[in-house]
Amino acid sequence: MSFLQPLISGILTGGVYALAGIGMSLVFGVMNISNFAHGDLMMLGMYLAFFSFTLLHIDPYISLVLIIPIAFMFGYMMEKVFINRVIHHPHQNQILLTVGLGLIMSNTALLAFTSDPKILTTTYSSSAFNLFGDISVSVPLLLSFLITCLITVILYLFLSKTATGMALRATSQNREAAQLMGINVAKMSAIAFGIGTALAATAGALIAPTYYIHPLAGHSFLLKAFTICVLGGLGSVVGAGVGGIIIGVVEAMSSTYLSSDWKDVIVFVIFLAVLLFRPQGLFGKKGGQ
Amino acid sequence: MIQHLLHVSHVSKHFGGNVAVSDVSFSVEEKQIFGLIGPNGAGKTTLFNCITGFYPATSGEVIFDTKKINTLRPDQVCKLGMARTWQRVKPLGSLTVLENVMVGAFSVTNSTKEAEAIAQEQLKVVRLSDYTTKSAGSLPIGLKKKLELARVLATRPKMLLLDEICGGLNHTETDTILDIIRGIRKKGATIIFIEHDMKAVTSICDQIVVLNSGEKLAEGTPGEITTNPDVIAAYLGGGHHA
Amino acid sequence: MKQIAFIAVLAAIAIALPLVIGESPYFIGILISLLMMAALSSAWNILGGYAGQYSFGHAAYFGAGAYTTLILLTLYNLNPLLCMAMGIVVASIIALITGSIVFRLRGHYFGLASIAVAEVVRLSVLNFEFTGGAQGILLSDVVLWDLDLNSKIPFYYGMLLVLAVTLAITAYLRKSKTGYYLQAIREDQDAASSLGINISFYKNKALLISAALTSVLGSLYGLYIRFIDTSAVLDLRLSIEIILTAIIGGVGTLWGPVVGALLLVPLAEVLRSNVLGDILIKAGLVSETSGVGMFLKDNLAHAHVLVYGIITVLCILYLPKGVLGLFRRKK
Repeated sequence: MSFLQPLISGILTGGVYALAGIGMSLVFGVMNISNFAHGDLMMLGMYLAFFSFTLLHIDPYISLVLIIPIAFMFGYMMEKVFINRVIHHPHQNQILLTVGLGLIMSNTALLAFTSDPKILTTTYSSSAFNLFGDISVSVPLLLSFLITCLITVILYLFLSKTATGMALRATSQNREAAQLMGINVAKMSAIAFGIGTALAATAGALIAPTYYIHPLAGHSFLLKAFTICVLGGLGSVVGAGVGGIIIGVVEAMSSTYLSSDWKDVIVFVIFLAVLLFRPQGLFGKKGGQ
Repeated sequence: MIQHLLHVSHVSKHFGGNVAVSDVSFSVEEKQIFGLIGPNGAGKTTLFNCITGFYPATSGEVIFDTKKINTLRPDQVCKLGMARTWQRVKPLGSLTVLENVMVGAFSVTNSTKEAEAIAQEQLKVVRLSDYTTKSAGSLPIGLKKKLELARVLATRPKMLLLDEICGGLNHTETDTILDIIRGIRKKGATIIFIEHDMKAVTSICDQIVVLNSGEKLAEGTPGEITTNPDVIAAYLGGGHHA
Repeated sequence: MKQIAFIAVLAAIAIALPLVIGESPYFIGILISLLMMAALSSAWNILGGYAGQYSFGHAAYFGAGAYTTLILLTLYNLNPLLCMAMGIVVASIIALITGSIVFRLRGHYFGLASIAVAEVVRLSVLNFEFTGGAQGILLSDVVLWDLDLNSKIPFYYGMLLVLAVTLAITAYLRKSKTGYYLQAIREDQDAASSLGINISFYKNKALLISAALTSVLGSLYGLYIRFIDTSAVLDLRLSIEIILTAIIGGVGTLWGPVVGALLLVPLAEVLRSNVLGDILIKAGLVSETSGVGMFLKDNLAHAHVLVYGIITVLCILYLPKGVLGLFRRKK
């Protein structure tokens, strides 16, 4: 029975990772940019949830109603002001620009909020219920997972049913062709970056009740999000979703059976193994370089 | 006895479910100028990529100078004496014209001085000596095509694969390039020439293969090809007026 | 001829500098940091600038040198130079593993994989016992010939020597077959391989040279500072500082990394040592006990990373070719 415990908590945490991964993958697909500020955007989401809880007394899950539009606008503006200026530059410059923006965000947070970690304690933060007798399921993790599922479904419907969503997917498939078809690809980039930011911040807000909130927390999430994207195939939204769950489970399993010190190492080793044996990702088409 | 330098036998290339090249075979004699023509999307460039090691062929075999080359990397193919140019030119943009050609020359020498000498010599062949210190990225398209030619010549190839070397050029530029190519052949190189400009091809080639939708449609001398009803139908059907 | 004279003057100044400024440990310390960052960035530049392969994980090679040297010294008390050589071996192994995984792939992958490898190295060092884990390694005493290794002077010259060697290698490579091949790979991989260039071989060659030099610098740093932990020698921030130095000076140029270090290291020192805050307070512009004064005193030391971030963004947007790019415009 003990095998099910890490499996279930892994899936629940993985769902939230998946959200961050999907955000990054969407940006990658539409803009062909690796966003190294993604983890720091998650960190901003954590602080937004923290302050709306402590200052405005809004429950972190309810606060998503505020956080999602704020983060979307933030990402949209960030793309308009900074990112779109390097969209035709070499990859390295794009990466460095997002690295720089990430450093600005994390170190501004460090100055503003100090390096003391904050803890968001709700009434249900440590509550759990038992499943099948001996498996404990954390209430906040379960709630986060359910919200993740809801958001993923909404995103899926948006991408497949709305005109903007279809334009986004077209841009992701072939930027030049989309432009020839009259799609405003510059606007699509800003929207994609806005959605990516909103998803990152949402993921941050969703894990805020169960993690330490720290200005430099983004760093480890960034690498996790990359692993998820590569696992699912860079640019594949569905792949990122599945990749997130896999990473969540792998982490939980290695914490249980090895030690929690090594779980990040295992995640990166998986990342490198995927690059070595299946660079197109687990769900990507073969033959692409 | 006729010496064949290249045998392409039953080469196919699939991308997922799409068949780009299907069971194409032909042989190229030494010192021939061999034309590979066909409408857009006929699979000419894909076939080039299979021959030069950029794509692994799905099936079939390519034999160059008695060696099987379809499992080799592009750089190994080049080292054996087969060099190609690109339909979309690929200048090494921030290097100078001279340095671009030197990079080609380094495949036959390790010395920078010798490479420079070879490069100067090839730049003279393509009449680009006035531009040696210009950055390659800043050249107009006509000169970039010449640069491509000089660069592959510097690798001292036995066989040259030219992918639409006249594409995007005006009449005078095309004539100059064709003139240069005739000069190269005189020195003993074998040339495969991709083009969809029929006039350029028929004026210079000894033997021609026509591809259509990935398949070999016809093979023969320019005279035979221009009167072949299938070829005429394919070109008119493809909406092409050269 | 002019170039040789320029280099001779530069070398003379660099060699004479410690004699002129006396033995002020503070200034020698800054100069050592400057030389080290210039050399690190130059070593990175061979791979990043010339071959166009941006490594975001050079801290792994720096750390490999520092850790190998200090572990071997504390355990077996070997000759420091031998330890340094072993550091090169370890760094080369890491480099070969990275290269074999990732140089078959294009685009974003090398950057991402280089971070992943560096993180695996960092976390492993943090979790193993023989590396000292989170406590790091403290080195009590080193002996090499009859040098006074308690003084900073030998390390000043050591760093200067490595910088000179790195620049000499770069200058030589630039005008050699390998250098041209690396630049061809940077400009267009398809064109490069169609011209007979074995892409992964040359990328690995550049990575090995770069990693070996970086590891030597790590060893020297370890011997100099005598205390290392993962946050000092294996952190992602170090990798980014190395790149940033090259970017600001001018990527893919011989002197760019040196110029970058000349600009960035003193700036970082000013911010880190809180000179600016002290000046503002001393000038009476800000009262030490006021809120602003307290804030400056407490936080300006952290602010140097923030400033790095701002510089990175401005540099990519307005000066992507670096400071040297302003002057250098080939016809």
